[in-house]
Amino acid sequence: MNSLMYDTYTIFWRELKRYKKSRSGVLIRLIQPAIWIIVIGNTFSGTQPLIQSVGFEGQYIEFMAPGVIILTAIFTSIFGGVNTLWDRRYGFMNKALTSPISRSSIALGKMSAISLISALQSSLIVGIALAIGVTFPNPFMIAPIMAIVILFSLGFSGISVIVAATAKSQETFWGVINFLGMPLFMLSPALFPLELLPDWLATIAKLNPVTYTVLLVREMMTGVSEGGISTLLSIGVIAVFVLVMVGLASYVFTREVNKPF
Amino acid sequence: MLYSVETRSLSKSFGTVTAVNDISFAVESGEIFGFLGPNGAGKSTTIMILTTLLKPTSGQALVFGFDVMTQPKQVRQSIGYVQQESTVDEYLTGKENLLLQARLNHIPKDQIDKRIDEVLELIELSDKQNDPVVTYSGGMRKRLDIAGGLLHRPKVLFLDEPTVGLDIQTRRKIWEYIKKIHKEFEMTIFLTTHYMEEADQLCDRIGIIDRGKIQVIDSPENMKNAMGNEVISLTFENGNSTDFLSQLRQIDLIKKINEDNNKLTIFASKGTEVIPKIFQISSELQIKIISISLTQPTLDDVFLSYTGHEIRDDDIGFNRKQEHVKMKRLRA
Repeated sequence: MNSLMYDTYTIFWRELKRYKKSRSGVLIRLIQPAIWIIVIGNTFSGTQPLIQSVGFEGQYIEFMAPGVIILTAIFTSIFGGVNTLWDRRYGFMNKALTSPISRSSIALGKMSAISLISALQSSLIVGIALAIGVTFPNPFMIAPIMAIVILFSLGFSGISVIVAATAKSQETFWGVINFLGMPLFMLSPALFPLELLPDWLATIAKLNPVTYTVLLVREMMTGVSEGGISTLLSIGVIAVFVLVMVGLASYVFTREVNKPF
Repeated sequence: MLYSVETRSLSKSFGTVTAVNDISFAVESGEIFGFLGPNGAGKSTTIMILTTLLKPTSGQALVFGFDVMTQPKQVRQSIGYVQQESTVDEYLTGKENLLLQARLNHIPKDQIDKRIDEVLELIELSDKQNDPVVTYSGGMRKRLDIAGGLLHRPKVLFLDEPTVGLDIQTRRKIWEYIKKIHKEFEMTIFLTTHYMEEADQLCDRIGIIDRGKIQVIDSPENMKNAMGNEVISLTFENGNSTDFLSQLRQIDLIKKINEDNNKLTIFASKGTEVIPKIFQISSELQIKIISISLTQPTLDDVFLSYTGHEIRDDDIGFNRKQEHVKMKRLRA
């Protein structure tokens, strides 16, 4: 157990070192969510009466800001596993696999690094949101919100690691990731209240862990709870999602890396 | 006797392709053992089995008595593996790369710094240790790779094509480092190469591997001595090569003849005495000799004599040879 923690930290340390040395990447990854929050946030400002009808008093941009924070978390973490493919192509993976560290610690180290990076990127989006005038009723909530983002990203990084370990090529990886990422974001109340979705869409959305994360983060940011979903249920769903993904990712990763690339 | 590396009837197939075909060999402790063969001969596949990256299709592979199939963890604790391509992280510094390697190999925390300083000095990279690897030359990267492989003082160090892609000066320099670390740590080194000179320079013993099979294992000196001490290469035209060859074979001093179309490679002792006899036979048979040369045998010649083709032969060459064999059979 002790050595699993140490090995996980070794990989985590390496991934963060690599992230730190790619400063341009940090900014590039912020462009898309920044466009979302600025352009979509203002384009749909006219929908304020609609969101007020479900009990949300603020402006649309305040309604969707938590959605964009989660958008950042989704894409940072779901893209994050791509370097697994590089590692396999350029030999780092073989180096790790021939050392005494366990296979699952490689997956876990990658996932924990991805989720921390995801939280860092999301906190920059929180900064952008504050800068363009989104108000935070309770600034002390930022820390627990980040904790939720880290947890949620850990689950999503699991998806990324699974796809990267299974895919044999960059093309497959990006194909699958794009197929998964956008629908998971769209099929959630990130941009639009759950109550106003058609029933069938709302039902699908309720199967999506993104939904619970968005609702939870929005409640923490604005104090408004929606859709009759309790805080506890949201936390429970996220926790189960994360546990399942972490377990599944270390299992699939261990199985896949034992096959020749 | 406990061997550092031992395989018993080891085979590995990928689908219908047999990469490693029933090979058995043993490497003694402290030895530098080399696998010499062309690309695609099965060298890397064997190393990947020995380093637990691939599972053998059949047979057994042991590293320090540990079975790679059933005791992979113990095997991984006993080995260092330096891959063919550079695997250092470009954006990390040399020292950070070694730190990562030290942690991957569970070097006790209080010893990490000391070990890193020690190997950095050994490979003469101490002054560049805080520069990002992206600024390193190919030779420096290779040295860093090798340093990473021996940081945890493995009992067996696997070097897969340690100097491929490096210029000749850098290659010589790497050989010196390999000899130096072998002297310093006295570990077993298992390397693969397709450079004759490299095998000759570094290895105590060489296994010649071709098309997944080991053709011969011996020391470079013995191999060259077995060839006779001289090599006569000659080309000829018009004439009955069958008669020519059978008459040549009757000369006592000739040990072996390789035939490739109208080119003969003759391994002989006292080559200076053999050459007049060759001319005598050729004039009797009215065979015209176009060129003839007399050289000392090299590992190139050894390789040729065991595999029937030169190491630089690519697959096209092999196919042509097969084609040639087929044509011969058709004619018969």
